[in-house]
Amino acid sequence: MRIAPSYPVFTVTFAVVFSVVYVFAVEYNWALFSYAPATGTWGPLTATAAAGPTMFWYGWIATAAIAAGIVAGIASLVPESLAKWVWPGLAWAVPVAVLIAFGYLLSGYFLR
Amino acid sequence: MWISLLIAHGLAAFMLLGAVTHQALGVWLPARSNAATFVNRLRAVPPTSYVNAIVVLFLATAILGGIIYTNYRIGARLTLERGRFWKTFGAFELKEHIVTIGLAILPAYWYFWRAPLHKEYARTRAMLTTVLAFVVWWGFLVGHLANNVRGLGT
Repeated sequence: MRIAPSYPVFTVTFAVVFSVVYVFAVEYNWALFSYAPATGTWGPLTATAAAGPTMFWYGWIATAAIAAGIVAGIASLVPESLAKWVWPGLAWAVPVAVLIAFGYLLSGYFLR
Repeated sequence: MWISLLIAHGLAAFMLLGAVTHQALGVWLPARSNAATFVNRLRAVPPTSYVNAIVVLFLATAILGGIIYTNYRIGARLTLERGRFWKTFGAFELKEHIVTIGLAILPAYWYFWRAPLHKEYARTRAMLTTVLAFVVWWGFLVGHLANNVRGLGT
């Protein structure tokens, strides 16, 4: 299978933007949709369930995935001469930083 | 149906754990001798041979986990809250985000492990594998822990 030369830029940008947007989506509840597991119904944006808990996780993932797909798609259009300056290590360094941020945000559960 | 899905999720996670651990060992501690010991054979695996299996198993495990999660929210999660198992509760909350970050790096992981392997990406490959191994180990152990608190099918 032939891979377009822009694909590494796409994957690195996707990992970075997905991770960063996801942590903000969780913190500020930028859910694209919500789900009520007790009733099995979906709602737009942050609509709360009529009964039982409301799940935003799928909505956060959708927000991050769409944002990352759009930004990475645009980034993959940059000329190859510019693309070579994108450090591939960002694909793991930024997600690791986001994992640490989540550890901090949820540290309250472990300090009780 | 939920128990069947949970068992399928656990089995997929178990296979994924084996694959990603083998790859991580092959990357960081490759075999340097031909000694036919168990540990040496474990380290001697060619890391590239696991890539597609890891991608497919990660997606399958995440999708199954995503489906089961709806049941967790109206069942096991309440048990954890009522029992004030805050560390387990927090670890499971963290699991949901850690697995999502695993999904974010999956395209890059697949790309940088594609043949022919470029030498200049060796560190990136090793780190992506390490992050993915951490994600899988965390998900597996915390899932197991939460399941132990609640009990299968209770």
